[in-house]
Amino acid sequence: MLAVAIVLAGMVWSRLAYWQVAQHGMLTTAAQAQFREFVELPATRGAIFDRNLTQLVVNTTVYSAFVSPDQITAAERDRVASGLASVLGVDKTAVLTTLQSNAKFAYIQRRFPKAKADQLRVLKLPGVGLQDETQRSYLPGVGQGTTLAANMLGFVDWNGNGNYGLEQKYQKLLAGTPGYISSYRDLANREIVLGTHTHQDPVNGSDLVLSVDANIQYAAEQLLADGVKKDNAESGSVLIMDPATGGIVAWADYPSYSANDFNHTDAAAFKDNVLSYVYEPGSVMKVVTLSGAINAGAIAPDTVINDPGVITVGGYRIYDWDRRNHGNIDYTRVLESSYNVGAIKAMQAEGHDAFYKNLQAFGLTQPSGIDVAGESFIPPPSASAMGDSQYATTSFGQGIDVNMVQMLSAINVVANGGRYAPPHVVERVGTQVNPVLLQPQRQVITPQTAAKMTTMMQQVVQHGSGWTSRVPGFQLDQCGKTGTSQIPVNGQYTGDVWTSFVGFLPAQHPRFTMLVVVRKPHYPGADHDWTLNDGYLTAEPIWQKIAQTMVVDWHITPDPH
Amino acid sequence: MARRRLGATGASPHVTAPPRRRRRTRGFIQVAGTVAAERLRLNLFGHAYLGVGAVLIGLLFYLAIAAQITSASYDITRLQDQQRQLIAEQDQLRYQEVTLHAPAQVQQQAAHSGMERVVPSSYVAGQEVAVDLTAPVGASPTDTTPLWMRAVAAIVNTVGGTRDVMAATKK
Repeated sequence: MLAVAIVLAGMVWSRLAYWQVAQHGMLTTAAQAQFREFVELPATRGAIFDRNLTQLVVNTTVYSAFVSPDQITAAERDRVASGLASVLGVDKTAVLTTLQSNAKFAYIQRRFPKAKADQLRVLKLPGVGLQDETQRSYLPGVGQGTTLAANMLGFVDWNGNGNYGLEQKYQKLLAGTPGYISSYRDLANREIVLGTHTHQDPVNGSDLVLSVDANIQYAAEQLLADGVKKDNAESGSVLIMDPATGGIVAWADYPSYSANDFNHTDAAAFKDNVLSYVYEPGSVMKVVTLSGAINAGAIAPDTVINDPGVITVGGYRIYDWDRRNHGNIDYTRVLESSYNVGAIKAMQAEGHDAFYKNLQAFGLTQPSGIDVAGESFIPPPSASAMGDSQYATTSFGQGIDVNMVQMLSAINVVANGGRYAPPHVVERVGTQVNPVLLQPQRQVITPQTAAKMTTMMQQVVQHGSGWTSRVPGFQLDQCGKTGTSQIPVNGQYTGDVWTSFVGFLPAQHPRFTMLVVVRKPHYPGADHDWTLNDGYLTAEPIWQKIAQTMVVDWHITPDPH
Repeated sequence: MARRRLGATGASPHVTAPPRRRRRTRGFIQVAGTVAAERLRLNLFGHAYLGVGAVLIGLLFYLAIAAQITSASYDITRLQDQQRQLIAEQDQLRYQEVTLHAPAQVQQQAAHSGMERVVPSSYVAGQEVAVDLTAPVGASPTDTTPLWMRAVAAIVNTVGGTRDVMAATKK
């Protein structure tokens, strides 16, 4: 009898020991979970400002409405459903179905503005709750369905993660570090504020100040949209740079999207054509080719060559755009009229190795490294792997792929006295200046070479293909170069083209460098005459209108003559 | 043990001091307590009732304080919620303000007002100003003030030299 009692007592004691000793940790955790709550304190995401401290992104609060059907009596369901339907505009029948279910929790509508939340609060509906969430709100863009600089800024998804553009690139700095609070809750799940708390304050994200000018950005988007529509083109992009610093002033894409409505936008629209689209730059490349050759002493602006309109390289016959014999012409004329044969002869005079080193020096063989997410880059073959014909086509911008940032930065070398200004969008992070701005700029070509190329590019506007870009008052004082290149599909060039125009003004003291690219234009009448799709009729007028706006907005005056 | 006092005159007869009575003071509470106890003449049950009463009063006091604290914590929660709403409203207003100054809104308003962008037809050519920043500063100007004026100034203003020259030559 005693043995049985001892065994039974032993069983009870061992069970008690099991629960009180072995399972102590688990039970403590389970108990704490019932009355203790760990709440994350979100950090405020940093704002983004333009160069004039115009705020481009604002954090706003939106609300989500949810119901707890088990807390709503059958008699109250109709009133609750009617209230939710009238304020939120949701289907009353669907809400009633949700309320009749045995669910503990169900969302009725997500992320609606504060005005609706206030209306719901007034109704005091039983079993209905509101959950507040932070949302990034961007400035309105040109059209109804767009926001300003959407492709450059990117957007922040509902989980607080930056997607595309600056929001993605600077996610860590913008987001900050969330804090937390651990507190007690009563039976009704209300927080008991006075009690033992573990508290860690959040560290808010840093603000960004950009080199972008919101007014110029808007004008660029508007004029680009008008131009692309007029050209019946597939798309277009504009990139404007401060020549001295490499800071981006405007970054426009058409078509674009609304970052405020990203969840209803086709993901294909998020692609940024400025940075994520590589293209063959066409004759704009001649500025790089001739600059390198002049810098190497292989040619001069007045060096005369014979251009029969065709040249055979590596077994391929390469023609000028007009397939005409131009006789003896100098290199200023080659650039003015954009002759391929002249560019090939300049490259040959310089030599393959020197030409390749030029491509490297102008930043065309590596990514631009700009501080925006999503850069696409196709490296060219190594110097030894490139054949004669590829060297020839590269000299006039075919057979080499670049993105717009790479190309504009390369041309900006001429505007910046021969120095390469690293492209960037962010000028300051919080109070810290972007380190890129503090580094010395790399000298690519001599200032003398840059001055000679500047004069040649002025001639392009005054006498050559750049005539449609002339800004009143600056006709003698602006530089430019057109570019048109055929689009390859499956290794074969098609009839569709990329057209572009790059330029800067005033010539001697440039305030901006701008590149406009129009993709697959179908200019009226181009079915009969393909040259109507050329850069001088498609990209150039867009450049001219934006430049005109900048002249007025930035109070730019011509250089004294 | 008797203690002897050493003196210059040698031994002296031993004198014992009269014993001092220590005076004990009784506090007011002690006195009042004694008086109350004497008057109340509480028995054992009386003491028990008194003890229970004291505990009850303590418990009620604790409950009142706890209720006050709970009520305060609910007030704080309510105020925190109110603060969140106000911050949300502030954010909303900030977005409205920023949007009002946005280029899209400015252009829309300008168009409503009948304003349009004017393209300048000509520009006034700029004149370069010849300023040689590397030129030496040169000697300081000499004081040409007459002696008699300096003497008067020295008396009246108690400073020597005219003020502008002094300012110019001041290091």
